[in-house]
Formats: sequence, structure tokens, C-alpha cells
Amino acid sequence: MALQPAFLLHRRPYRETSALVDLLTFEHGLVRGVARGVARPGSRSRGALQPFTPLHVAWRGERELKTLTLIESTRAGVMLAGEGLLCALYANELLYRCLPREFAVEALFAHYGALLEVLPTPGLRAPGLRRLEITLLEALDAEPLFLSIDGDRPLEPQLRYGYDASARRFRPIADGHQGVDGRTLRLLAHGDWEAPGLAGAAKWLLREALAPLLGARPLRSRALLQSLVERRRAMPAD
Amino acid sequence: MSFSPLFERLVEAFRILPGVGPKSAQRMALHLLERDRAGGERIVAALGEALARIGYCQRCRNLTEHDLCALCEDPRRDERMLCVVESPADLLAIEEAGGYRGRYFVLHGHLSPLDGIGPEELGLERLEAEVAGHDYEEVVLATNPTVEGEASAHYISEQLRPYEVRCTRLAYGVPLGGELEYVDGGTLSRAFSGRLPFTS
Repeated sequence: MALQPAFLLHRRPYRETSALVDLLTFEHGLVRGVARGVARPGSRSRGALQPFTPLHVAWRGERELKTLTLIESTRAGVMLAGEGLLCALYANELLYRCLPREFAVEALFAHYGALLEVLPTPGLRAPGLRRLEITLLEALDAEPLFLSIDGDRPLEPQLRYGYDASARRFRPIADGHQGVDGRTLRLLAHGDWEAPGLAGAAKWLLREALAPLLGARPLRSRALLQSLVERRRAMPAD
Repeated sequence: MSFSPLFERLVEAFRILPGVGPKSAQRMALHLLERDRAGGERIVAALGEALARIGYCQRCRNLTEHDLCALCEDPRRDERMLCVVESPADLLAIEEAGGYRGRYFVLHGHLSPLDGIGPEELGLERLEAEVAGHDYEEVVLATNPTVEGEASAHYISEQLRPYEVRCTRLAYGVPLGGELEYVDGGTLSRAFSGRLPFTS
């Protein structure tokens, strides 16, 4: 097969010197495979097969578990550290949990690669993550997220909307419930969600929309990020 | 061919050890049964006792059969330094390398959201209590230079921030006696960004 652009989402030891790897690939989406001998000292792929490093891979096998035949890094990955690294682990956990196997979404691959590039810059992290989340949801629902309004009625600016998890659509809700007004939703639908005032609303909405996909098992990486934020808040100001 | 189910079971049991394939497992089983039954008894006794009695040190989570491990009991260790490692094997490697005389804390793993390993599984509350209760000047974050090791080091450094202890990370570098040509790009670029003034 032709070489596939890919990113490693996760690897775990398999037998003595091999690894079970989950890859996000450009043409085939999430692919699981065995990388044989990759944990052997002196293996050429050992250093290359790291998360967040752009890879080229090839595999054989038609079943769910492939056998990787080639792993090469195309260039050194972005040096991620600190909170940026935890955000990258969040992106990996999100895709690993929500994306069905071998369901290719080329835009998702592109946004994931772009996200890794911006994660070292604190101000660009949230917009990058939101874009990845929106792309994931829109790919799974095969329709634009913020246009998913009940009955295709236009958004009423003065109405408040909530996310109906079972129908995966926004619906008008009664006063007194937490939700987002139609005006904000319209702005978000136009792609204005990177505007500073809308960042909070976008984050809340996406969390609501992702919740049914994650079920009862919350994302561990999000819990990590949250516990650090809470710790920092509890600290006396310098 | 199978002449004894018990023998097969023994061979299978040996195969769980790292580096032991079917042939080696068979040789080991035959050796103990044919040539060294007393040695076999010693293995059984040592293994049984080790499994029953070895647990984690209450202070540093290193392996020990006592409340405190020998390193924590040793009054000659430097009380001002604490080194955080992922596994007892890493602790042994640092001890064998020599040069470090401080105390340790063993995580028995690293943060790995996808494997469901979080701060609780690594005993990070215990680590925080250890730092809070002692006068450490420096905590060396000697987790592995992998994504998960890096994430663990970051989390711990944030966790220890209120205690005003200096957190350091092991340096990245080119291996001694190595040739630049064969060093992977990631290591080389990190070694470059972490270069030091030349001292002669």
C-alpha cells in the first residue's frame, strides 16, 4: 500500500518487544495495528513512533488489527510541554473515544495537525480545540453542528436554546434553564466562535454536545486539566 | 508432544517471564526437575514469601517488606533532595549510576488518560504530603522523556507549586560515546536547545 500520513494517538506494550498502536490516518481514519519489534533496543522506529510526531506509515491486513510494515517520521514533532501537552492528550483521548474505527474524515486530520502546531501558544489553544471538537461532531452527524435546529426553523435571536442530547440537536428551552440565546447560536453558526466573548459559550455548548458520545465515562485528560485549574485558583495570588 | 500436563503447566508458567520463549521455558522446567529440585524448592519458597510480603514503602512507594524501605531508613541520605521516578527499575538505574544521594519517590507508572491512569493511581497525594512534611530544597522529576512522562512531570510540578520547592527535570542529551549522525532528530534538537556553556 501507499504510505499514509498518520499521527500516533496511543501505544501500549504488546508482547515483549511490540506495541499495539492507535493511529489517526488521513485516508482511513482511526486504525489499530501492531508495530512489531518497536520496543526492541536499537529499533529504528522506536524514536519515531511517538505521539504528536507527523508519521508516514504502511500496513497490511484487512481485519481490524493491522500489521504495520513501515513507520517513518516525516519531521520532528512540535515540542509540547506543560498545559499544551495536556491539551494534546485531551485531543487524543477525545478522538480515540469518539471516532469510530476506519471512518475517515480528512478535515479532522488536517485540524488535528493544525491544533498541534498552535498548542505551544496559550491564546490559540481554546480556538484550536473547539475547531477539532466541531469538526468531529459535524463529521459524526454529517451536518453542521450549529444548524442542527429542531424542525429546520430559523434561529430566533431572543429564544434560549439547549442541546437535546438524545436527538443531538438544539431545541428551544423554557426560561430559567441554562442555555444559549439564539443570537449567540447564530454567531457561532457563522463561525464567529473564536471571538473572545463567545469562547465560553462555544466551550459550554460543545461540552454538552460531546457528553452523549462519552457516556458515563468522563475524559481523564479533561479531569487532569480541570484539577490543575482548580489548584491554581486555590493558590494565593503571588 | 505432551507427556505430562503438570510439566506443560510449569513450562507455560515460566513463559510469563520477560525474555522467556517456549524453548527457554522448557529448558528451565527440565533443569529444575532433572538436575536441581532443591533449587526449585528455593524458588518456590522465595517467590511465595516475596509475593506474600513485599509491598510498597509507606514513605516512598519503593518495594519493601517493611513499613519503610532501606533507602528511607538510611540516615545518611540527603534529606534536601527528592527524586521522582516511574518505576523501581528506574530507581535502581539511578542508584547504580551513582552520584545521587537524596531520597526517592516511586510512581509505579505515569499519567496516561487513555489507560485510565490518573493522579490517584500514582500516589500523587502521598507525594504532596511527603513534600509538605519535609524540608526538601529540590525535587528532581526523573520521569521518562516520553509524552506521558513529560505530562506527569508537568502535573507534579504544578501540584508542588505551593511548597516553594525547586523542581528540576533531567537534561536531554546525546548519549556518551554516541555519534550525532545516528541520534534521532527529537533528541538532537532538544540537546541543541538545552546546550550548556563550554567549561574546560
